[in-house]
This record gives sequence, C-alpha cells and structure tokens, in this order.
Amino acid sequence: MSSSTPDFDSFPVVVHGHQFEDFPEGREFVHHWGRTITAGDNALFSTATCNWNPMHLNAEFARAHGHLDVVVNPMLVLCTVVGLSVEDLSEIGGPFLGMEDVRFHQPVHPGDTLTASSRVVEARESQTRPHTGIVTWHTEARNQHGERVVEYRRTNLVAKKRPPKGH
Amino acid sequence: MTAPSALTGSNNYFEDFTVGQRMRHARSATVDEVENNYISKQVMNTAQSHWNEEYLAGSPLGDGRLVFGLITGSMTVGLASQDTAENALSELGLNAVRFKKPVHHGDTITAYTEVLETADSPDRDDAGIVRFKHWGRNQHGDVVCELERLVLIKRRSHWTQP
Repeated sequence: MSSSTPDFDSFPVVVHGHQFEDFPEGREFVHHWGRTITAGDNALFSTATCNWNPMHLNAEFARAHGHLDVVVNPMLVLCTVVGLSVEDLSEIGGPFLGMEDVRFHQPVHPGDTLTASSRVVEARESQTRPHTGIVTWHTEARNQHGERVVEYRRTNLVAKKRPPKGH
Repeated sequence: MTAPSALTGSNNYFEDFTVGQRMRHARSATVDEVENNYISKQVMNTAQSHWNEEYLAGSPLGDGRLVFGLITGSMTVGLASQDTAENALSELGLNAVRFKKPVHHGDTITAYTEVLETADSPDRDDAGIVRFKHWGRNQHGDVVCELERLVLIKRRSHWTQP
C-alpha cells in the first residue's frame, strides 16, 4: 500500500501561535528570528509605499544630515517588529485593532539587526463577542548594540480556545 | 553634491504648517501584489491571511487576501510624506493608530491630513515638531485607517539661504 495516496486530512497540523488563555498579564515573549534590515529592503519598502523621501533613498542627502547611510524608513522598522511578533501574539488570534505610543528612539541604518520582545499589558473579555478576548501587549525592539529602536503598545481581538458554557 | 535644500520642496518647512491646516494628498495608490502580498512576507508577518488567497474564503472579513493593517498605514503615511515630511529630520512616533475596515487587493488608498499641533523642539533650535492626523480612505470613501504622527521638521530660518 506504500504507493497509495495517504489520507492527507489525517495529517496533524503543526500549529503556530497562541490564543487568549495563553496571555496572562505580565507574560513575556522573546520573539523568533530577528531581522537584518538591508538596503534593498528599505528601497523596496519605501518606493512601494510611495515614500520617496531622500532621507530614505539618497545616501548623500542622508550623509549631509549626519547619517552614515540612508535612514531606514521607520514604517519598515515598525512593520518588521510587528511581523516578528505575529507568530507569538496574533497569528491565530484575530484582527489588529490599533496601536498607541509608538516611539522611534534610534535611527536604523542598512545592516542593522533588530530583535523584538513583548509583554502582556492587559487581557480582558470582549463584552460583545463571547468567543473572543481583547489583549494589549507592550513590544520593543533593539538593534545589535542593545539600543532600543522602537516601542509601542498594540491591541488585538484574540480568539479563545474553549467555547463558553452553553455553546 | 547638490545642496540638500535644492532637492526638497520650499513650502513644507516647519514654519509652513499651521494648526487646523488640511491637505488632501494628490496621488492615490492601489494595494496589490507588491504592496501587500510581498511586503507582508518581507517584514516577517507569518499570518497567512495576508498572502494565502484561499485562507479567508467565506469569512466575515471578506474573501481573498486581507491587507496587513500597517501596510495600509504605511501607504497612508507614504502618500502624505512629500507634503508632510520632505523636510523632516526624523519621525518621532505615532499614536492612536486605528484600522477601521478590511482592505483587500485592488483597493485604492487616498491620504488626508490635518495639522493638530506645532511645537518647538526641546532638543534643537533648527527644527520644530508637528503633530499630524492622517486618514486613509478607500475608493468607496470609507475610512480604513487613521493615525497621529509626530515629525521633527527643519526650520526654514536655519536650513535655507535667505
């Protein structure tokens, strides 16, 4: 029977991510992988999002303002840090509601490497959706020198593992 | 090299922004393969709803790939960037970032801005801080995202020749 087609529906899914019950207040996560931001990343992201600012795309202009190279678009820094946190925080949870207090502390330059970590700030039940909670995390990212480059609070709807009683 | 001040606009220095000033940015942009499908993966966003066409089929969020909210936000900032940050020294931060409606491939974003506040910089006298409110709207006129943004912007008095 080795040549027959296996029952693919019986293969267990390798699940990645967390749900509401996994987010007690105060729990900390060190997010996977890290990311070195390259000149190519910055040029692609900045042009694709119509952000043609010479501080991001003209190295001589950036040098004339005291930088060693172009300044990586801070929105790319923010998107990457959120991206690194998605598996731990929101991959199987629910929609992204918003962010508060985003602070860019340090410029990022091509070749810098970012790593991210988060802490659960608040986790509460949704008043209107019985299968769902609302979780807020504080996330920060540091560069290869240990300097904090960005921090923010992010809030998502997050699915619960178990349906409430009566369902 | 060409003087930096010759490479950027002359009407968007700190002194040019006034509280209550409103701008509708002239260029709109459509979100498609590069903007969402690729950038979501580029920035390590592992949520497959952003790059798996089948994943959300039949869901209340709508069929097809859901645009990563921060890409909508980044395009809103990008579309507003020439008019608000061409003479910026740095982006300081964001606040009150909200994603109001799902965005899908093929949707077109237009950016709108209001100046909420202008202030001296506590750190340097050659620049000031402007707090902007930005809105991104889709082709149906629905607001899909909104955010506030703090930018450190050059003062003309210090950065241009009289």
